[in-house]
Amino acid sequence: MLEVRHLRKRYSGIPAVDDVSFVARAGEVTGYLGANGSGKSTTMKMATGLIEPTSGEILFEGQPIKTDPMAYRQRLGYVPEEPHLYTHLSGMEYLVMVAELRDIERSCASARIHGLLRLFGIHGDRDVAMSSYSKGMRQKILLSAALMHNPDLILLDEPFSGLDVGSSLILRSLIKELAARGKIVLFSSHELETVERLCSHVVILHRGKVVADDSIERLRVLMAVPTLEGIFSQLAVEQDSETISREIADLIHA
Amino acid sequence: MHNDWARRRLQFCTLYRVFLLRVVDLELLSADGDPTKLIGQFATIFVTISLFFTLPALLMLMGTGSFPGTEGWTPEHFFIETAMTCAGLIAVLDWEAAFPDKRDLLVLAPLPVRKSTLFLAKIAALFAAPALAVAALNIFSGVAWPFLFRSGSGGLFGVLRVWPAYWITLLVAGAFLVFAILGIQGLAANLLPRQLFLRFSAVLQAAVMCLLLIVYFVEPSLESPAALAAAQNQRILAWLPSYWFLALFNQLNGSMHPVLVPLARRAWIGLGVSALGACTALLLCYFRLMRRMVEQPDILPQTRFVSWSPRFGNSLAGAITRFTMRTLMRSRQHRMILSFYLGVGITIVVGYVKAMNRGLGSTRGTISNSFLFASILMMILTVVTLRVVASIPISLSANWIIRVTQVRSARDYHRAIRWSWLILGVAPVMASIAAFLMAASPWRPALGHFGVMFWLGILLVEICLYTFSKIPFTCSYLPGKAGIHFAFWVCVLLFIRLLHEAAELEGRLLPGLLGSVLMILIVALAAIGMRHLSASRAALTEELLFEEAYPAEITSLGLG
Repeated sequence: MLEVRHLRKRYSGIPAVDDVSFVARAGEVTGYLGANGSGKSTTMKMATGLIEPTSGEILFEGQPIKTDPMAYRQRLGYVPEEPHLYTHLSGMEYLVMVAELRDIERSCASARIHGLLRLFGIHGDRDVAMSSYSKGMRQKILLSAALMHNPDLILLDEPFSGLDVGSSLILRSLIKELAARGKIVLFSSHELETVERLCSHVVILHRGKVVADDSIERLRVLMAVPTLEGIFSQLAVEQDSETISREIADLIHA
Repeated sequence: MHNDWARRRLQFCTLYRVFLLRVVDLELLSADGDPTKLIGQFATIFVTISLFFTLPALLMLMGTGSFPGTEGWTPEHFFIETAMTCAGLIAVLDWEAAFPDKRDLLVLAPLPVRKSTLFLAKIAALFAAPALAVAALNIFSGVAWPFLFRSGSGGLFGVLRVWPAYWITLLVAGAFLVFAILGIQGLAANLLPRQLFLRFSAVLQAAVMCLLLIVYFVEPSLESPAALAAAQNQRILAWLPSYWFLALFNQLNGSMHPVLVPLARRAWIGLGVSALGACTALLLCYFRLMRRMVEQPDILPQTRFVSWSPRFGNSLAGAITRFTMRTLMRSRQHRMILSFYLGVGITIVVGYVKAMNRGLGSTRGTISNSFLFASILMMILTVVTLRVVASIPISLSANWIIRVTQVRSARDYHRAIRWSWLILGVAPVMASIAAFLMAASPWRPALGHFGVMFWLGILLVEICLYTFSKIPFTCSYLPGKAGIHFAFWVCVLLFIRLLHEAAELEGRLLPGLLGSVLMILIVALAAIGMRHLSASRAALTEELLFEEAYPAEITSLGLG
């Protein structure tokens, strides 16, 4: 179980994440939703240990992740929002480096890397420098790097970004499969339809604060709205989209 | 019409500013890093050198006041060749910026910017960087020295004529080299297929860098009428443009000597040909290749028949060693710094051997002192260069993977870095020394020298590791650290004499068994002591460093 307790992060006094608390359980996919700048990626980065929270704590299986960060990282898989990679390396070289940094046994790592690259359909390009990879190919490398060590906790920050339809369908099934095998999956996305299909439980952020933390079913009943899009619009969208779009059109026309 | 002109001027100014700053890769700077400070720092280095060069001129001005006859040719030639080398080096560093890359095209193509505006902004920025560097390098010396170079018969007019002549010569000589470099690059870009050009261009850049340094340090001194007129020197003079521009300066200054006439003619022809070649190549590149740049991928998929992935120690050491090796081989920026340092090292060795008038081979049952000097210097330069290059990051945004995969202690990383530097820095030098010694030297002194070099390599690695609590190429760069490069070269220049003494001492001790053993013991003890110190320091390090920051006492007064 991943538990986030009263998490706060301030940048120069401005709150990015403000008193966020939620629980992501093993065997379920937790959707983490919010508009741009609502604090989703900041929370994800705090959960990976990439940035320090201003206050609050994050517990993994009851232990603060700070207690033994190395053991925690061994069990963590993370796909960041942007596909930042060492693009002077080839996909294969990058994944071998990640396996070595994670201290995965050489033959086991090799089998998994080749397998993942084959299943993601980029095995033929494994020796090409990643500088010439498309966004989707880079995303597949990130997914391979995040999954190759069979992590118990998987943090996915907009993992569908850049993927084609076929790869998105595979990833969607894969996330379900991983959750079914007892993994904790925390999944952030703007694709509400995908979230609705995948997640049993959603946390919605608005301006750094949690405005909803429940199962989609219960939220539908409580808010008397049939779709997740409707729930999200009510909780996290401040302005009427039609009004805004009209104003933009007026502005550029003026 | 007027609006169009104003719009184009605005576009030109905007693009010019952007392209000018491309000389420095700003994405590698620390969050605390200020790009203007970095540029200011480079300017300060050049201005300081200029001030240093000015001191002898001031002393001379207090004395004789001018050079009699052709005696001024030596300093004139020195300043011209220094300006040319400086302009050439900046042009080599700016190599990538010569042509619009894919990013430029993808960003600018959808905007209403004409190709000609883009072309002019690129060219202006390309020439501004070397011109500014040459100006900074001569800011003081370019005022004092020309006064000493004035034509003896010119009177007041001679005094007024010498400054523009001097500055025009410096700028024209620098421009000649920039044109020549652009021409070579443009020719390769036009003749070779794009993928091949991209691969060849990196090798060409390193080769041009080494060539510039070697010519600067090793070119013969021919600054006399007799040497310039000698038949045996004519062949080499045809390949040394700094002498052509020495003649050009004297022509502009009104102090022309008959022996300089053909050289001045060659300067004008060279300038014209290089300018024409560069402009043609650039125009062809812009108007013929731009579309091709967008359409073609930079690197085509390739099949590797042999997947070479050697093992280097444990998995962590292997990962760091291979990452270091691949970054050095594939990152243009890192390869350039490496080429620069090693190129200067090689030229010092060549210069030393030439000055001492000795070969590197062994004589009378012992190893030549020149070889001892060369091997010590190359060992120091290789290890220290590796340390300097490792401080320059490759891609800060990609560092997250190193951080989320850190499942071992900082101490383990420290050990792995030590291992990688021994493999990549010490081992190649040791292998070269071994090959040389096996070929030509008596076995006992050879073994003694090999032992000394082995421990010296370890000592140097430990010294470099002492303050290095980061993974190579992953920590942001703080402009203040540019001083390291400057301090390093000042130290090298000061310690050349010391190295010479060390090589002489080693040369005296090596023939005796006791001397050899004693020397090995001293260096080994120093290495072991240093290793203990660096390991103790590493044990205190809990976190690896990914972001350079100024020390707290500099940024705050701690009053909180």
